[in-house]
Amino acid sequence: MRRCGGIRLWSVIAALVGASVAARADVASDKAAAILVFPKLLIDTSNAPPGPRGQIDTLIRVSNTSEEPISMHCFLVDATPQCPSVAALRACIASPLDCVANGCTSQCQEFDFYVNITALQPIAWLVSQGSSECTPATPENVPCLPLTINNPRPDGESNQGSRILMAPKDPFIGELKCIAVDANGMPVARNDLKGEVEITRVQGNVADVEGYNAIGIPAVLPYCSGDTTISCTNNSDCQPPTTPSDEGTCVQPPNNGGNTLVLGGNVCAAGTNAGNVCSSAADCPSGSCVSAGEYVGCPNILVLDHFFDGANDPVTGQEVTTDLTLVPCSEDFLTLPLMPVATVVQFQVFNEFEQLFSTSRTVTCFAEWPIWTIGGSQTMQRSIFSAAVMGTLTGQTRIRGVAIADPTFGHTLLGVAEEFRKRGGSAATNLHFSGSRPQSDYLYLP
Amino acid sequence: MGRASGAIWRRGRATTLALVVAAFVVATSTARADVTTEQSASILVFPKVISTPATASKLASDTIIQISNTSNSMAFAHCFYVNGAPPDPSQLPSSTNQPQCQEIDFDIYLTKQQPTHWVVSTGRRVSSTGPSDQECSDNPPFYDCNGAGFDPGAIPPVSDFFTGELKCIEVDSSGAPINGNHLKGEATIVTTDGDASKYNAIGVMGLNTDSNSNNGDDTLCLGGGMTPSCPTGAEYNACPDTLIVNHFAAGNKFSAGASDPVINEFASGSEVNTEVTIVPCTEDFENQVFGTAVVWFDIYNEFEERYSTSIPLVYCWANLNLGAVNSVFTQAFLGTRFAQTRMYSADPDQSGILGVVEEFHSVSGGNTTRDALNLHGEGDRPDGDVLVLPGGF
Repeated sequence: MRRCGGIRLWSVIAALVGASVAARADVASDKAAAILVFPKLLIDTSNAPPGPRGQIDTLIRVSNTSEEPISMHCFLVDATPQCPSVAALRACIASPLDCVANGCTSQCQEFDFYVNITALQPIAWLVSQGSSECTPATPENVPCLPLTINNPRPDGESNQGSRILMAPKDPFIGELKCIAVDANGMPVARNDLKGEVEITRVQGNVADVEGYNAIGIPAVLPYCSGDTTISCTNNSDCQPPTTPSDEGTCVQPPNNGGNTLVLGGNVCAAGTNAGNVCSSAADCPSGSCVSAGEYVGCPNILVLDHFFDGANDPVTGQEVTTDLTLVPCSEDFLTLPLMPVATVVQFQVFNEFEQLFSTSRTVTCFAEWPIWTIGGSQTMQRSIFSAAVMGTLTGQTRIRGVAIADPTFGHTLLGVAEEFRKRGGSAATNLHFSGSRPQSDYLYLP
Repeated sequence: MGRASGAIWRRGRATTLALVVAAFVVATSTARADVTTEQSASILVFPKVISTPATASKLASDTIIQISNTSNSMAFAHCFYVNGAPPDPSQLPSSTNQPQCQEIDFDIYLTKQQPTHWVVSTGRRVSSTGPSDQECSDNPPFYDCNGAGFDPGAIPPVSDFFTGELKCIEVDSSGAPINGNHLKGEATIVTTDGDASKYNAIGVMGLNTDSNSNNGDDTLCLGGGMTPSCPTGAEYNACPDTLIVNHFAAGNKFSAGASDPVINEFASGSEVNTEVTIVPCTEDFENQVFGTAVVWFDIYNEFEERYSTSIPLVYCWANLNLGAVNSVFTQAFLGTRFAQTRMYSADPDQSGILGVVEEFHSVSGGNTTRDALNLHGEGDRPDGDVLVLPGGF
């Protein structure tokens, strides 16, 4: 399978000689895209006994924003620690400081599935239940895919062939990546997917819902060589009268439909540094610096505005804490359980006095931390993420995966933050992004 | 494939890619930015800011604003509250109870990378003797450090009943608008029981930051071409052409809204209602004139069936309970639990729109919990929008 992908890569890229490549959009959670990343999914449905925050399940919503059907190849990453008991697992998920003491070990396991979505169709599923085509036996409460082979659209389109896996464990914590593919399962450059996650916690008759948007990684689409902000399908789209002036030719990006997805990055074309990563033409004597991405690159830096842990919410007086979830942008789904790649993450923390502190941790496959534990403190009051140390209510933290000289694996990150009020509710928020980097990230599909 | 061979294969593949791409002769790439909720920008829009007292049916609510300077130099901003509450907030807005659209403005300034915050009901006062508010500490325990830190300027409290928007525009030290793209922000809506929803401020990025194409006048041009009011063309990115929201089918007084399958899983029943808050992109703060539009809604259910409706956006702020807008949003009409709705101004000459969505999940016999999400945007408005700031005296 991978060898075939390699042949396709060769042939398609070879056909692109003379073409240019440019990124025309950014990774964003407010635009439809070709790859959706849901950094945090969580379930804990048992009520015997319930977990510390009640019974938990996650609802995923995805919609196709185009007027053409689309398919997704999704990868569910199970990052649930392996623990000797459910109680130990819950304690480990709640606080990573308790994982070792409770005999838990980390793990990453990938499961993949396909979903077919008709034009402009919204779909949803519960992570605890998965989903498939609706049948008379489908429980009324469980979301399912309504356009079945027996009940298709008038044009014959349906959700036939879709089978969304349920989480393999309960409790479960992990991430989901979904990639736009064609009917044959090959990645396609279609920025037509949007999604949201809602994590709901229920204790008795009290519920708490938090939601965040899926992070979208757009595919690089065809554009005019003279103005990369102009989309095109052929050369005439770049010429008057379609454009006010001559905008060159329509450049086809290098999405070859193969199983290695290249996210951003630049390399030297020709010259003495041919093939090396570059930031600008100055890095490529006698050559030029070209974009290599089939998809837009992941952000160089993540930015999180947050309350310092332990501070009291100025409205309710309740103590506020924040959890941060980070996942790698690069992932090798073929070898994930055997050789997950570690990324060192640097954190810069500013308080409202503009005072700067920094710390670091390592992310392997998936990380979810109460932020006060990031610096290795054993108590919240000694953490640089605590109000007790920083003195002010809020802070700004900049998060950067450290790049190393590995041409096969980028080290950028994506993530989401959750804010908890003691005896109150939670709220999730998407992180901000800053910049890009010259190294590519890679998604290796099975 | 074993560990070593997998790594070798990956390296081989990447090298191959690099070598083949090296054969290309290419142009320098440029990135086009859009209105964003995840990058620093020059204009921040918080579409939903509320500070309301408790009523018989609702808990009191307040909003915490967070803004950060993401640059290594000072950043300044001129901010505008626009109160979209009608004079009698206990009644729905109408021709006899029109939203006030009252604007109040103030300035903030942030040192490099400085985060700041304030609660809208109280604002933030400036100490004349420098930072004097007590800092948080564990010795002795003190965690009510709301005022600690460099004051970002004097921020006024909003009125007793405030439902409206906040816009902050990056300016230089003289107060002239600039394309700095140094600001990011979040709003947290908190009810007194501790429930909270949070969304990112919508950022409108300034164009050509390096050369600062912004002419620094009081007319800010968001997208579009050269016009009499924008003689040099766009200074900022355009507002999106279409806003997209995925939502639960709504309820109204005749039928219940869709239920939350997670709450149903663990409790006796539930209902979800959705509010979409919309503000115009075009606003004239000098003359207190706010852009109007007929907002179209194209609604698609899970059977891919399309319905549509529209409402006039004639005031400065609209908070739309979807079920109350039109029965086409209801589960009884749509027939499915989930829907995708696309919203856009009916005419390019009308104002563009920005917004945010908030969902309210109610447990049968239990509480109601809120959850905010940023809307998705699609496309750019070709004719652009204009923000006019108050002139000097």
